[in-house]
Amino acid sequence: MTQLALQMTQSSWTALAPTLLLGLSALALLLVDSISPEESDSTLLAGVAGLGSLAAAVTTMVFLFGGRGLPTEQGGQGIVSLFGDQIVVDQMSLFFTFIVASVVTLVVVASSDYLRDHRYKAEYYTLVLLASTGMSLLASANSLAIAFISLELASLPSFALVAFLKSNKGSVEAGLKYFLIGALSSAVFAYGISLVYAATGALQFDAVATAIGEGVQTGVLGIGILMIVGGVAYKTASSPFHFWAPEAYEGAPAPISAFLSSASKAAGFVLAFRVFLTAFPVDVAGAAIDWVLVFQVLAIVTMFVGNFAAATQEKVKRMLAYSSIGHAGYVLIGLAALTGGVDQSQVLGAGMAHLLVYGFMNTGAFLFVALAEYWGVGRTFEDYNGLATQAPLACAAMTVFLFSLAGLPIGGGFFSKFTLLMATVNSGTWLLGAALIINSALSLFYYTRVVKAMWIEDPADGLELDDYPVGLYTAVVAAGVVTFLLLPGFDVVIGFAESAASLV
Amino acid sequence: MAGAFTYAPAIAALPFVSFLVALFLGDRMPKGGALAGIAATAGSLLLSAWVALTVAGGATYNQTLYTFIEGIDTFELTLGILIDPLTALMLLIVSLIAFLVHVFSLGYMNDEGETGLPRYYAGLGLFTFSMLSFVYASNILMAFMFFELVGLCSFLLIGFWFREAAPPSAAKKAFLVTRFGDYFFLVGVVGIFATFGTGAFAGAESFPAIAEQALNGEAEVTTFFGMDPQTWFTVLGLLVLGGVMGKSAQFPLHTWLPDAMEGPTPVSALIHAATMVAAGVYLVARMYGFYALSPTALAIIALVGGFTALFAATMGVVKQELKQVLAYSTISQYGYMMLALGAGGYVAAVFHLTTHAMFKALLFLGAGSVIIAMHHNENMWDMGGLKDRMPVTYWTFLSGSLALAGIVPFAGFWSKDEVLFEALIHGLGSDGGLGTVLLAAYAMGLLSVFFTGFYTFRMVFLTFHGKPRTETARKPHGVGWNVKFPLAVLGVLAATIGFLNMVPLEKLTGIHLSFLHDWLAHGGIEMTTSETYGTLLHDVAGVTAHYPLGELGTTLASAAVSLGLALAGVGTAWSLYNVDEPTEHTDKLGSLKTVLMHNYYQDEYQVWLATGVTYPLARAADKFDQGVVDGVVNGVSSVSLFGGGRMRRLQSGVVSNYATLITTALVVLLVAFGLIGGWF
Repeated sequence: MTQLALQMTQSSWTALAPTLLLGLSALALLLVDSISPEESDSTLLAGVAGLGSLAAAVTTMVFLFGGRGLPTEQGGQGIVSLFGDQIVVDQMSLFFTFIVASVVTLVVVASSDYLRDHRYKAEYYTLVLLASTGMSLLASANSLAIAFISLELASLPSFALVAFLKSNKGSVEAGLKYFLIGALSSAVFAYGISLVYAATGALQFDAVATAIGEGVQTGVLGIGILMIVGGVAYKTASSPFHFWAPEAYEGAPAPISAFLSSASKAAGFVLAFRVFLTAFPVDVAGAAIDWVLVFQVLAIVTMFVGNFAAATQEKVKRMLAYSSIGHAGYVLIGLAALTGGVDQSQVLGAGMAHLLVYGFMNTGAFLFVALAEYWGVGRTFEDYNGLATQAPLACAAMTVFLFSLAGLPIGGGFFSKFTLLMATVNSGTWLLGAALIINSALSLFYYTRVVKAMWIEDPADGLELDDYPVGLYTAVVAAGVVTFLLLPGFDVVIGFAESAASLV
Repeated sequence: MAGAFTYAPAIAALPFVSFLVALFLGDRMPKGGALAGIAATAGSLLLSAWVALTVAGGATYNQTLYTFIEGIDTFELTLGILIDPLTALMLLIVSLIAFLVHVFSLGYMNDEGETGLPRYYAGLGLFTFSMLSFVYASNILMAFMFFELVGLCSFLLIGFWFREAAPPSAAKKAFLVTRFGDYFFLVGVVGIFATFGTGAFAGAESFPAIAEQALNGEAEVTTFFGMDPQTWFTVLGLLVLGGVMGKSAQFPLHTWLPDAMEGPTPVSALIHAATMVAAGVYLVARMYGFYALSPTALAIIALVGGFTALFAATMGVVKQELKQVLAYSTISQYGYMMLALGAGGYVAAVFHLTTHAMFKALLFLGAGSVIIAMHHNENMWDMGGLKDRMPVTYWTFLSGSLALAGIVPFAGFWSKDEVLFEALIHGLGSDGGLGTVLLAAYAMGLLSVFFTGFYTFRMVFLTFHGKPRTETARKPHGVGWNVKFPLAVLGVLAATIGFLNMVPLEKLTGIHLSFLHDWLAHGGIEMTTSETYGTLLHDVAGVTAHYPLGELGTTLASAAVSLGLALAGVGTAWSLYNVDEPTEHTDKLGSLKTVLMHNYYQDEYQVWLATGVTYPLARAADKFDQGVVDGVVNGVSSVSLFGGGRMRRLQSGVVSNYATLITTALVVLLVAFGLIGGWF
């Protein structure tokens, strides 16, 4: 009996391996740095960080294909729940951990070049890995307390990372703004949690749901839930909590923008998915607040705000920042289309699948911007004129990212947007579907501007790139290849996403 | 069993290989790819002969070879081969003419030192491939595809001398005019698939079979616009007929063919006389089971055919250039075939198609020989007296001319007579409008026999008889074996191929002589035999025969009338032009000649249609596009950009503004949902 329990504990512990790998690599980096503080050997630090995150990504993949986090009835190895159900490892947490870990891997590989002339490399990587530990923990959080802690673990290093370019005024300013808005949002989130606790007397998600089912004060609970929506909206950069995003993404080093706009957003969404489906299921919490309607409003507003603002930008990075807000709006469909009678796995799965594809294509796009910053060609659309004459491979990858973001069938973005559209059709939320179509069409306009600049416009005089950084190139091309492969391989992604979504 | 049908795909594939060889290796080959083409078409000819022998043994073949679109709960799109007696005959004709034209091209192109020979032979190879594939296409979509391909080859070869001004323009015209007809054809193909769910020509599941069952109430089809099946089938048939009229140069889409004479003469012989132009007529024959169901379509076909026959023949009378005469004669002769098809004379049409292919290819090649001799001067008024200087060309040309004029016993007599005979008896026998229309078409066909005889021999006398009128005609350029050999083969065939089907003689003597009737009547795939067509025509379309003078009497009377008219035409030409120094008697026609020389102003009115009607329409559409469509699009985009600008302004850069906005938004949400949720 004891032996059996021990065995179970061991196997349960290993389920957290990806998260632990991320955290331990962060600690290992600190160790390396303290052994040789003057060591500015970028390769070693990047290697440790990259290996750690890659190991985490691979482990999650092995777990996913091995059936971890899938109930035994469905042929899996069972859902693992730890610390008195405070933490749960199921397919959804693995799915999101995979997104986070693969984005981090790309970002780390790219950063090795980006940081070449900067100091405090070890701190940079450590912060990235700590933030990603928080994000992956967030994917497993099964109680509001853990959720809050992991949210902070993910956020606090992010503030520092945005302000990483200490001598750059923009970076510092962005970091400060991000921190202030983050503080405000965290306060809203924490207040929401306390109100929910006040109404239900529970923090663990299932317990919250049970308590609501037994009857609570709807007013208090409703305000609490709405404030938690605020916290989620902040983390996912959805309206009206998106104001930090354009400035933070623009001011931050481009790899960090990639990290925040892809991994951090995904982490915010997994929190939203889990909280709202486990703790506040529509059928019980609907009496207090119709949160599906809330998300419908947020989704539509977010889509329009993000895309319309992106359409008028002059700087590529800022355009991508707004487009990233727009994409948060698309993913919100995964919650907003959960009207009565609709197949939850399909709707939620569509949102999850889009996040995964988005993780690669958006990261890739930001890393291309990082590449451009590395070359120092400038930030506006015009500065990208004729880049393809000098760097056709990277520009081809960028074209794949942008068209895939717009939803053209050149990358996985086509199918993920399509499944989102089907979700709106099946749930009868035609307004969401229309918003999705209108905004995708609009987004094609501003994405094409970049493509046109790169391939069609003549290069400015004296555009000469003498250096092709291996790390950045590897990351950009790898992201491009994966984005493209997700077109034929989308079946696998949507398969995992739907099966994961059906478990929550 | 590795029979002939196993190798049937090779009939078309061989010329395709020669196309590739000429295209990619032509530069490095001794005759610019000619030898590959000759070998390939000879192979096709042999295989076609083998196939024909197999078909003679009673075998047929109808096989899908490749499905390129799998239909899920709907029809499939396939490529396949259909070989029945009609196909076998046509394969033989096409591969024979293609072979002879390839040989002739050695003399016409190689020996004349033309450049761009690989391109020329590649074009011929691709054409032969496409035409043969069209001939044995098993469904109408495949037929359409190759129909378009032969059109493309025609375009490429007409414009072969693209550095001169006229050929590219003629090529463009041919392409556009035939394309105009092909639009209708394409719509018809789509309509047929939508209606029947299949495009197969033959077999129990073919669309003619389903159409017949639908008329008998045994099958359900989807008709459109609330039409009853018969009307709808007529509409479909007429749509396909659009393509036929373009390709077979029927009024009013005939205008491209005379211009197409800008191409090299062997090309004119192959494409614009014997084979591609026949594709239209062949298509009608191929799906005759479908047309036989619609008396309206038949009447229109007959009327168009009869009118075209007469119309083109009158224009042929005044032409001064050798190839122009032949071009109008071609249009006119295809009119006869259409007349035959419309009048229920399926066998007559196929018969005339066969004989015409021989004698018209011969005449074109003969004309080519003359043109070589005349150093590429085509004006007949510059010729004269060539008969003594080029006897082989003269005698073979004469054989072809006698056949064209319809003089007994040359090939054209037997076939043209049968066409007119069928039109007559069915015109007399059929009730109502169809009978009247057929008689009118018959009258026009009969009248054009006279003109045919006249213009043919006007051409012969002007070219070969009398005294040479120019220095070139006095000392013509000699021609080689490669010119004489095809002429000799075709000369013999033009004289003799009519013996295939000597119906009047059979009726007179009682000896069995109508071999082509047997060939097409039996042994075909069910539903594609002339016997079935006869029954269908009678039962569904109401085409009935009537013999006012008894069967034998009518036959002989009809033959006598048409022969008499032909002889009258020849005689008139004889008296006017078989003199030493002929003059332009057509000048006596006065203003009528001007009209005829301008081809009844057909080109002018078509140009007017393009510039006076289509162009303003296009401009209006352009205005609409620029103004309304673009206006809306631009409006949307400026609204978006304006909205975007507003969105941008929200992002003021001042963090306390953000905090205010966030808090306000949260409060608004709280109040709104609080009111909805009834918290207060």
